[in-house]
Amino acid sequence: MGVCLQQRSEQRPSGVRIVVLQPGRAGAAAQLGRLGVEAEVEVVHDVERALARARAGACDLVVAAAKPSAAAERLLEQLRHDGPPVIVVDRALGNEAALGWFRRGAADCVALGSRGSETLAAAALEQIRGWRATSRRSATGRRIQELQRYSEDVIQKMNTAVLVVDPSGCIASCNPPAAQILGQPLQALLGRRVAGWFPDAAGRGTVDRVLAEGVRFKGLESAITRPDGSVVPVGISCAPIASGQAGRPRGAVATFQDLTEMRQLQRQVLQTEKMASIGQLAAGVAHEINNPMGFIHANLFQMNEYVAELRRVWTHVEQLQKCLDPARPEPAALRQAAEQLAALVDEVDVSFVLSDLAKAIRESQEGSERIRHIVQDLRDFSHHDKERVPADLNLCLDSTANIVWPMMKHLVVLEKEYRELPALDCFPMQLKQVFMNLLVNAFQAIEEKLGSSGELGRIRLVTERVGDDVIVSVSDTGTGIAPEHLDRIFDPFFTTKKVGVGTGLGLATCFNIVQRHDGTLRVESVPGEGTTCRVVLPIDGGGGEG
Amino acid sequence: MKAEAPLLLIVDDETRILSALRRALRREGYEILTAESADEALRLLSERPIDAILTDQKMPGMSGAQLLAEAARRRPSAVRMLITGWTEEIPRTRLEALGVCALITKPWDDARLKATLRRALRA
Repeated sequence: MGVCLQQRSEQRPSGVRIVVLQPGRAGAAAQLGRLGVEAEVEVVHDVERALARARAGACDLVVAAAKPSAAAERLLEQLRHDGPPVIVVDRALGNEAALGWFRRGAADCVALGSRGSETLAAAALEQIRGWRATSRRSATGRRIQELQRYSEDVIQKMNTAVLVVDPSGCIASCNPPAAQILGQPLQALLGRRVAGWFPDAAGRGTVDRVLAEGVRFKGLESAITRPDGSVVPVGISCAPIASGQAGRPRGAVATFQDLTEMRQLQRQVLQTEKMASIGQLAAGVAHEINNPMGFIHANLFQMNEYVAELRRVWTHVEQLQKCLDPARPEPAALRQAAEQLAALVDEVDVSFVLSDLAKAIRESQEGSERIRHIVQDLRDFSHHDKERVPADLNLCLDSTANIVWPMMKHLVVLEKEYRELPALDCFPMQLKQVFMNLLVNAFQAIEEKLGSSGELGRIRLVTERVGDDVIVSVSDTGTGIAPEHLDRIFDPFFTTKKVGVGTGLGLATCFNIVQRHDGTLRVESVPGEGTTCRVVLPIDGGGGEG
Repeated sequence: MKAEAPLLLIVDDETRILSALRRALRREGYEILTAESADEALRLLSERPIDAILTDQKMPGMSGAQLLAEAARRRPSAVRMLITGWTEEIPRTRLEALGVCALITKPWDDARLKATLRRALRA
């Protein structure tokens, strides 16, 4: 026995707990002292108590006396499918009896004969080892199940839309937010292929590329077509689920966001910023409207005077006509009327009044036309683009320059160098907003530098085509940008302007708009000398959404 | 008022405004000169015995206020008046320092413009 235990010493179980069901005081329990391992042996006399201990997992083994057999039988029956092993012991055990106990589910049968104690110890150890191994296995299984449930629960409870796809691109798991965005019941989604829902190639390719190449995507903007035909803009991030070995991933997990609200907010910010730039312009525009208003108003007053004077002359002409009645010629009255008329024509200066009246009308017409143009330009500016349209950037730039010109003309010489450009598929109002911001910034930099020195600054507008790009640059001779600010000029809310002058959103908005056109916005600046902003837009721009 | 027609110089970069002001003041008995820029105004100021100068504020290069400051140096006797759409743009103290005796808003009221000019030139 000693030898035996030494050989197995490495596998010697510890913390062994055994329940012994025996009717009397002496019996199997006494024989377990030879177990050779530290064991806690609990002797119970009642089968129900033994069962309770076994079911509570409080023991590794039950040793049951074969007699009374009803108790042993009940114990075996109850623990047959779920519970620790049971060894049945008896003073003597024939083959027949042993077989009967085995059939009833006994793990082993031991006769407590002359070498009974050694036999029992060996049998007990074996059963305990076996039981511990199985329960370890099933514990691992249970742990795996627990983890599966846990991870599934994490996915289900997450407030972000999550899709898990298997290596074939079919949905293995997804959660309610995902079902909501996709517009389908959760159950209907499982097993479906993901690629079909994306109307654009970028979206369709995402999951496939993740699965095939193991690449990951972050914040990719795409859209999903729901079964009812509606299209939801979404942002997708997708990453492969690593496989144990190198090679194809075991699937992919995608999280996505409904961007509808964000798009709305973006549009609002765009509109807010546009309104802010319009606010900056208001004074200049009002000035530009006020001038024609001023002379139209004065001219109308004067035209009214002219009409009154001409009416006076006309009254005399009528007088003269009466004197010309052939039935009653009155030569004296006729002469008098003619003299009066001549004097009045002289006094009123009719020929001047007539020509100046015509001139006043002409000038006023021109003034009202100017006001109409300004209002039209402003109205155009407050629109927003629904979709890309082909546009001539020279016209966009020029009409924007026209709007801002009034506010800057007292300080600025504007140079224009427009080259011929191909029509560009773009959101023209958004680009006009970019130009407007750049122009206003250029003006403000000049204003800050020159103040009321009486000098004039210069803003130069250049458009050109270089290779596959259209480039629009706005250069000024203003204050320039300090090098330490240059990195931050595109940050939202970064501004060096006085409170109330800048929103800090101007260039950030420009940057976004240009990015939406797959273009770049570059700024070069020499402090004290001026700044050049260059908008580079690819002619074959992307098809992004506004 | 002098015996001959007072010589009034009107300055505005907007020719239509010059034209309308000339029209409005046609019967007021002034000899009217017009200038489309501060530079031109300064030239006329040195060539002619200007009695009164009425200038727009916002002009390319030199502003109306700057022109009046220069006019005060070159011809202190000339009555100085400013016409602007935004009267609050120039602080009152600056107006006083410039010796501006009348501030006319655009768009102007014809009768008030005439009365203001008459008053200013009589003083």
